[in-house]
Amino acid sequence: MRHSHSKLWIAGALVYIFLYTPLAIVVIYSFNDSKLNTEWVGFTLSWYEALFNNKEMLIAVCNSLIIAISSSFGATILGTMAGLAIHRYKLRVLSILFFAPIAMPEILLGVSLLLFFLQVLNLTLGMVSIIIAHTTFCIGFVAIIVKSRLQDMDESIFESARDLGASSWQCFHLVTLPLIMPAMVAGALMSFTLSIDDFIITFFTKGVGDPILPIQIYTMIKVAVTPEVNAISTLLMLLTLFTIIIGIKLSSSFLYVRKNNEST
Amino acid sequence: MNPRRFISAIAVIFLQSLVLSFPSQADQKINTTVVAKEKNVLYLFNWNNYISADTVERFEQYCNCELSQDYYSDNEEMLAKLVAGATGYDIIVPTGNAVETLIRQGALKPLDKKLLPSFKNIDPRYLNSSFDPGNKYSIPYAYTLTLLGFNQKIIQELNLPTDTWAIIFEPQYLEKIKGRVTVLDSQRELMAIALRYLGYPVNDTDEKHWKKAQELIARAKPYWAAFSNTSYVKELAVGNLWVVHGYSNDIFQAALDAKNTGRKFNIIYRIPKEGAVLSLDSIVLHKDGSRPDLAYQFIEFMLDGKNSAELTNLIGSGNPNTHAIQSIRKDIIENKAIFPDQESFTRLEMLRDFNRNQRRLLGRIWTEIKLR
Amino acid sequence: MIKEKNIVRWLLSGVPLLFLLLFFIAPSLIIVFTSFRFPGEFGGLAPLIAPMGTVDVEHGLTLEAYQFFFSDTLYVRVFIKSLQVAVVTTLICLIMSYPLALLIARSKERLRNIMLLLVVLPFASNFLIRIYAWVIILDPESALSYFINLILNLVGISPVIFLFSPFAVLLGMVYVHLPFMILPLYINLEKHDPILLDAAQDLGASHWKCFWYITWPLSISGVSSGIVLVFISALGMFAVPDILGGTGDILIGNLIKDQFISTRDWPFGAVLSIMLALTILLIIGLGAYFLRRLRKRNYAT
Repeated sequence: MRHSHSKLWIAGALVYIFLYTPLAIVVIYSFNDSKLNTEWVGFTLSWYEALFNNKEMLIAVCNSLIIAISSSFGATILGTMAGLAIHRYKLRVLSILFFAPIAMPEILLGVSLLLFFLQVLNLTLGMVSIIIAHTTFCIGFVAIIVKSRLQDMDESIFESARDLGASSWQCFHLVTLPLIMPAMVAGALMSFTLSIDDFIITFFTKGVGDPILPIQIYTMIKVAVTPEVNAISTLLMLLTLFTIIIGIKLSSSFLYVRKNNEST
Repeated sequence: MNPRRFISAIAVIFLQSLVLSFPSQADQKINTTVVAKEKNVLYLFNWNNYISADTVERFEQYCNCELSQDYYSDNEEMLAKLVAGATGYDIIVPTGNAVETLIRQGALKPLDKKLLPSFKNIDPRYLNSSFDPGNKYSIPYAYTLTLLGFNQKIIQELNLPTDTWAIIFEPQYLEKIKGRVTVLDSQRELMAIALRYLGYPVNDTDEKHWKKAQELIARAKPYWAAFSNTSYVKELAVGNLWVVHGYSNDIFQAALDAKNTGRKFNIIYRIPKEGAVLSLDSIVLHKDGSRPDLAYQFIEFMLDGKNSAELTNLIGSGNPNTHAIQSIRKDIIENKAIFPDQESFTRLEMLRDFNRNQRRLLGRIWTEIKLR
Repeated sequence: MIKEKNIVRWLLSGVPLLFLLLFFIAPSLIIVFTSFRFPGEFGGLAPLIAPMGTVDVEHGLTLEAYQFFFSDTLYVRVFIKSLQVAVVTTLICLIMSYPLALLIARSKERLRNIMLLLVVLPFASNFLIRIYAWVIILDPESALSYFINLILNLVGISPVIFLFSPFAVLLGMVYVHLPFMILPLYINLEKHDPILLDAAQDLGASHWKCFWYITWPLSISGVSSGIVLVFISALGMFAVPDILGGTGDILIGNLIKDQFISTRDWPFGAVLSIMLALTILLIIGLGAYFLRRLRKRNYAT
């Protein structure tokens, strides 16, 4: 294209290199046969082995998956409802309320939920407290995605459905839902990723006795840095890559269906 | 009803119920931990690396139960988590001042010594401490000293003293080791040795003395590489750091690592002549624990000399158990920095907890120190 | 608008609303309330009403925590330091992200998707790992440190330790926040109509003029979204200075965390949190004000 010239390409490439080099190093050293992350000694899978033998790490992974799935489920449903509500009822208050948790720094959310759980609800911190916390901060993301999808849509579709005699429920079920499905899927995947990844909010709302993945990694980084951390990092990156690819496949299949419907 | 009124109605109901819920500190906690409490599990809240994996395994066989561990790297962290309502622990291993706090909070169960016949194994020097007279609540488990660790080769080359805190406070020495020193990232520990170096007791609460200690620290800080609670161990063993302010068992580990990886230097450690902090860690029973029976089994198990010695042999911690002496490695027994002789013992002091005003003030001093 | 039964309206907006009221608004109010209480003797909070049978227990409400905050310029200085770090991080992110976002926006459709994926991928890797990666790279024994110090040595400068320094913290902050800036920029730049630039070039404008007079003003909303996202996140960050800063640096995030984890001074932690929230609101408010003025000016010309 005329408007992108070589200087832009160079700048862009440099940023990509900046983005990827650290991660590449983490991945490469996960195969390094040395306790220190400084010199390459030899290829080994021993760190991955150690990881799979690390009972606590495995429990942490399980716990994180449970939390991620539960909270993305909750966040998707609540966030979709929120997105629909904001789009239809156009209330300023709703917008501010639903998007505020995203705008706040995570530390404030974490601290306020900690105090709330303890002082008011007298809740013992544990898996449930983390799930609630994650759902809360993910609702906004899903709501934004659903809302933008709705905004881009042509309102006349609903009107024609109504004209053809569809009831409110049929309208929602057969028209709205399929159309916002890609947004819901994107929202669910985003929530899943955010939840698995979340450190700060989990740090404050986790209870005792339940290892959670990012906290395990944090402890490992601070206490005994072994290449096991590299190994778990690599695996996590693969997981998120996998999730994103699924997301793309799923949402594009919905888009494909839609295009087909439109052409008929 | 339009949405606006609807929302405000909900909000009002909400706020009212919120305000009303305050005075009620219901005793019933909604317990949401996933692990079922009927399983044979003993919940232990312990320092990182403070029990040998072999010991854990043997105990699990002995009691036919599971030992579930959660960790902390700082007493403050442990206390903060407990204050924040962390429940479910049967056994905690706090240091003396934290034991005092927990006792005053009423968070511990008194011990029934009749169930602990091996209690007599403990060295009387470590019993009846100021934080738990009569040992109503705590059983000494292990102790560590906070002192200085050195890379012997380099310090000898630089001709620096190894028996005084001056090496980390005086610019004349610091100049030679700039960027190669770390201190503990702990408000209490660092202030304690600063006070001690100036000649004041570690539990001094005189604000003027604190100011002097703060100035001492601020003057030395530019030469320090970092405040570190854990990562200094590896850096010392690898040779990146030459002097560290750290825990005796961590430095022991570093010395071991350095030897095992064939480094060309030794790690040595000393109790400085001005004194050092003694941290006596004791086993206590938390009142919210659900398996006191297993807990007593654990304590009795750990009071046995052989089991107790395992930790010492593993991490080089001090051992208050007289029956353990025969099972401990000779080189560790003879190390004065781990098993201080009577003369050094008099130079050791234990930390006591501060009240909340002092904590707040110390917090501010600490913030000032950290802000460049 | 579709006419729906009222019950649907209530449910649709009410359920998520209730959830957020409970788990977002209520906790925020609790923080405000906590800032007016006494800290507990052993940590946590002192009771509101003196328990029966005890003498001389602190209770009730107080402005003490706020007084403590303002009693010394120290805490304001911490805020200023955090603001400085956040501003610098945001600027660097903006400068680095803009060319890349521009590049992606102007590429062909298929290439664009791959490039976007490549941007999102590091973002999708675990937050701590992104920080940890720099711990490895900046370690004094690493290849990079060795190499750079070798060069510095030739010039006569003594070896620099990169890890645990303000430089490391800044590096970590920028690295963690880059995708936050790239994506909003891209979303905005993608909508730009290339016809405008064609027209400008036909009229003889240089590349720089094209950018400054056409692309930049049109991208302001994207730029501001990015700035807001990065700035707010950077302001409250504690993990980066904690891991990369050697904990010799104290930013507002570390300070707040300390109050709850170390000092056990909840009321003061609450005061700090409120101050942080107010600072953010103030800055967003100022930003929105300036943005409106900028927009008016752009439309006027």
